[in-house]
Amino acid sequence: MKIEKILFVCLVLVLVPLNIAFAHKVIIFAWVEDGMIYSQSSFGSKRKAKNCAIKVENEKGFIIHKGLTDQEGNHSFKIPKNIDSDLVLTLVAGTGHQAQWKISIDEIVAKSSDKDIPTIMGKKENLEKSPSILKILTGIAMIFILAMAAKFFKKGKTLK
Amino acid sequence: MHISEGVLSGPVLATGAVFALAGTYIGLKKIDYDRIVHVAILASAFFVASLIHVNIGPASVHLILNGIVGLLLGFAAIPAILTALLLQAVFFQYGGLTTLGVNVVVMAVPAVLAHYLFLPLLGKSSTLTFTAGFLAGLFSILFSSILLGLALWFTNQNFFETSLAIITAYIPVMIIEGIVTGFCVAFLLKVYPEIIPVKKK
Repeated sequence: MKIEKILFVCLVLVLVPLNIAFAHKVIIFAWVEDGMIYSQSSFGSKRKAKNCAIKVENEKGFIIHKGLTDQEGNHSFKIPKNIDSDLVLTLVAGTGHQAQWKISIDEIVAKSSDKDIPTIMGKKENLEKSPSILKILTGIAMIFILAMAAKFFKKGKTLK
Repeated sequence: MHISEGVLSGPVLATGAVFALAGTYIGLKKIDYDRIVHVAILASAFFVASLIHVNIGPASVHLILNGIVGLLLGFAAIPAILTALLLQAVFFQYGGLTTLGVNVVVMAVPAVLAHYLFLPLLGKSSTLTFTAGFLAGLFSILFSSILLGLALWFTNQNFFETSLAIITAYIPVMIIEGIVTGFCVAFLLKVYPEIIPVKKK
């Protein structure tokens, strides 16, 4: 019984500091969507990391973006042009509290190409600039077939 | 000039479809048996014209040629433009099937008006023929861009600035289209006058 009490006290002593430590743990999570990078930051699972600095660096350590989180701990920014490496987002939430999230270049390229409006417009423009000759000829042939059909029907009506 | 799918509201699309159907019916009724081949030639020219891009500075524009189609065909321009737009939508994803009616109204109504406004000027003198062709081309694009702006404005009145921007963006196309139509009409009058209804009389 005595041993059990000692174990229980030890467990409490271990868990209480651990819980406090978790309360101060800073978390940042980021993702790519519609040509933007979105991030959410918090202390643990409940407290939002408000007005905390966020810096974004490329692989060489150059800072490509800086900003502050809003009242909900969110921060977003447009993906700068000519990104050619992974990006690391660092959340600085006061002395000693820092968290990082890495976004791979593959994710940036893949998501941007699906949703980014300039990319879509560029694709559309290329599509329009290089129409298939076969399709053009088919279209013209169809117009003349329709015209011949119209002529046939008109002729029928005229004969009646 | 082609309005894509998902931009316009249901009532605007429905109104466009009704007007396009009515216009096509009148156009088919009015097509002269002997001029069906001309309708096919001009529909083919309209079908291909949108695929030819011209670079003006950083922008890329394409010809529309609804002015010359309307000038030479009158009401028959409506089924011609409908056919060409339908094929463009199917083959090249220009515009769309739900917006076909609105696109037909946007491009064919100014074309028919150009026929009644400028056809009487053709053949009187070479200068007047070129001027009539130029004005037909310019007027068709101007009026088409206004109709396009109105379609957007009726969908959402916040599109007013977009509508103005569209009309402004088409100013170079109006001038190019005017020059192309002017030269085409003057050339056709010399080498193939049968295609111009005024000459037939």
